[in-house]
Amino acid sequence: MSANKILIVDDEEIIVRLLSMSLRSDGYETLSAYSGEQGLEVFKSESPDIVVTDIKMPGMDGLELLKKIKEIDSDKEVIIVTGHGDIDSTIIALQYGASDFINKPVRDEALAIALERAKEKIYIREKLEGYTKNLEQKIAEATEEIRRKSNFQKLLIHSSHDAIVAFDHDWKVVVFNPEAARIFGENAANVRNKMTIQDLYSQKVADSFKDFVKNQPQKKDIPWKEMVFKVKDGRQIPVRHATNVLHVKGEFMGIVNFFQDLTEIKQLEKELVQSERLAAVGQTVSGLAHYVKNILIGLKGGSYVVDVGMKKNDTAKLKTGWNTIKNNINRVADLTQDLLTYSKEREPEIEPCFPNEIVEDVIDLVSNVASTNNIKISKVTDPGIGELVVDPQTIHRTLLNLVNNAMDACVEDEDTSKKFEIQVKTYLESNTMFCLEVKDNGCGMDEETQARLFDPMFSSKGGKGTGLGLLVTGKLVEEHKGSIDTDTRLGQGTTFVVRLPYKKADAVDRN
Amino acid sequence: MSKKVLVVDDDPDVRSFVVTVLEENHYTPLVAQDGVEGLEMIEKEPPDLVILDVLMPRGSGIRLYRKLKTDDSLKEIPVIMFTGIAMRSFLKSQKALDEFNGGEVPKPDIYLEKPVEPEELVRAIQKKIG
Repeated sequence: MSANKILIVDDEEIIVRLLSMSLRSDGYETLSAYSGEQGLEVFKSESPDIVVTDIKMPGMDGLELLKKIKEIDSDKEVIIVTGHGDIDSTIIALQYGASDFINKPVRDEALAIALERAKEKIYIREKLEGYTKNLEQKIAEATEEIRRKSNFQKLLIHSSHDAIVAFDHDWKVVVFNPEAARIFGENAANVRNKMTIQDLYSQKVADSFKDFVKNQPQKKDIPWKEMVFKVKDGRQIPVRHATNVLHVKGEFMGIVNFFQDLTEIKQLEKELVQSERLAAVGQTVSGLAHYVKNILIGLKGGSYVVDVGMKKNDTAKLKTGWNTIKNNINRVADLTQDLLTYSKEREPEIEPCFPNEIVEDVIDLVSNVASTNNIKISKVTDPGIGELVVDPQTIHRTLLNLVNNAMDACVEDEDTSKKFEIQVKTYLESNTMFCLEVKDNGCGMDEETQARLFDPMFSSKGGKGTGLGLLVTGKLVEEHKGSIDTDTRLGQGTTFVVRLPYKKADAVDRN
Repeated sequence: MSKKVLVVDDDPDVRSFVVTVLEENHYTPLVAQDGVEGLEMIEKEPPDLVILDVLMPRGSGIRLYRKLKTDDSLKEIPVIMFTGIAMRSFLKSQKALDEFNGGEVPKPDIYLEKPVEPEELVRAIQKKIG
């Protein structure tokens, strides 16, 4: 404890001397003054830690001195020496900030206790000051650190290549970074803290997030997946999306959506697929040469047979030759269409149509060839399907290709004792998929054929195949965002199932 | 008696064409749809000439040709290859099979690549069997 310097002020010299002696023997350093004025002078020049002053002095009295000292330095301890019963002065002294009182006559023990208390106070105040100063600095440091971290995080969010959109527990937008602004075509200032989730997203998307939080409180996030995000101005943006649901101490705090714009990547992918497809057509051209030669021989041969028929007036020959020519004209037409379909980008033209009727049309179309080859074609169509919004072209061409393949599989089967049958089935799956099933009991496929089903140029049909049929079907189905599954057993038959997403006809705006 | 010519081809258009050509030139046409059926017919009743396609779904012309040329009782039957496959490819496959099996199968006397004019076909037939 460093408070060692004590100023003693009293107009009675003897008292000052006695107190000084007593205090010095206790180890204090003492200063003396014999009036208020002198006390103030010494105080100013020596800056003692504690002042012990008599209250009643001529001139500047103890109260006045106390007041002046406190004005100079309010932290100084001033002990007032009062006479008995001087309550009024005591109250004033308290108001001025005196730290303690001792009664006259001053006894050594009383003074020692008062001094100890004063020193204790000084000590505590010093310590407190230290603490406070320290605390202030620590808070300043922590604040700076938080500010730095928060700035860093802000910068991270700001400069992220992912669009980041966060909502608080009231679904208000609280984070909306520049990439999000770019994707959504909104000005961040108009969104942040102003919009709610349904202002920013479509009702459907907004509801889906709310439902996710409400119905699956145990789930913390939606992992990355690709989707097409429809923004308010109607643009459809392919994105990768993930969501984190934020909880603090089990309480829902909000969600964060992350989006990655895939537009460019999708475009690149599209270009890549397109160039691969063109290359495939190139490959196919050599494979096709054989097929084209067969068409040519068909046309030439057919005309020769017609010539002979005319020359000899042979109707049977005429008929055979003419059929050959017609067949081969059809082959040219089909080939041309396949090539065009395969090499060109095509959007499915979805419209309300009756898939079951298309099935009927296709079966009608092939019924002649089927019966010539002793193949029975049956259909099991779900009457509940009715009108759907799909691409009728895709269904037509896919089914025609699959049924033709099925017939070829029957014709090529070495087991001629079989009763060949092709079954065409339609049904709906989980209210989203229209399913088209073509099942035959023909020759089936070996593993190599199965593996190369969708390869360009690959054909298991000798000169009769272009290697384009399933390739085109695969492309049409893919463009329709559908899928094809195959189940085959060598010698027992093959089943193809095509699944195409559809919309209900009445649910679609027909404008 | 007119000479018998067997046409082995999976394409009915080709068959009807060749059959008509044969009829027009006073040969007796016989037809088989693939190599398996062709061999059966040849073994049952050897024709004077075989007109043979290469790519067929069942029993290819490659196999049938080798069978004919390596069977002592059949190897004298003349064969005209009549196909959309280039001769180079056909010979390559034969060479590969020669190496694999050992021995050497003679090259076909006449190899016609489709499409072929009827006159050319007739000339080829006449050259082989008159």
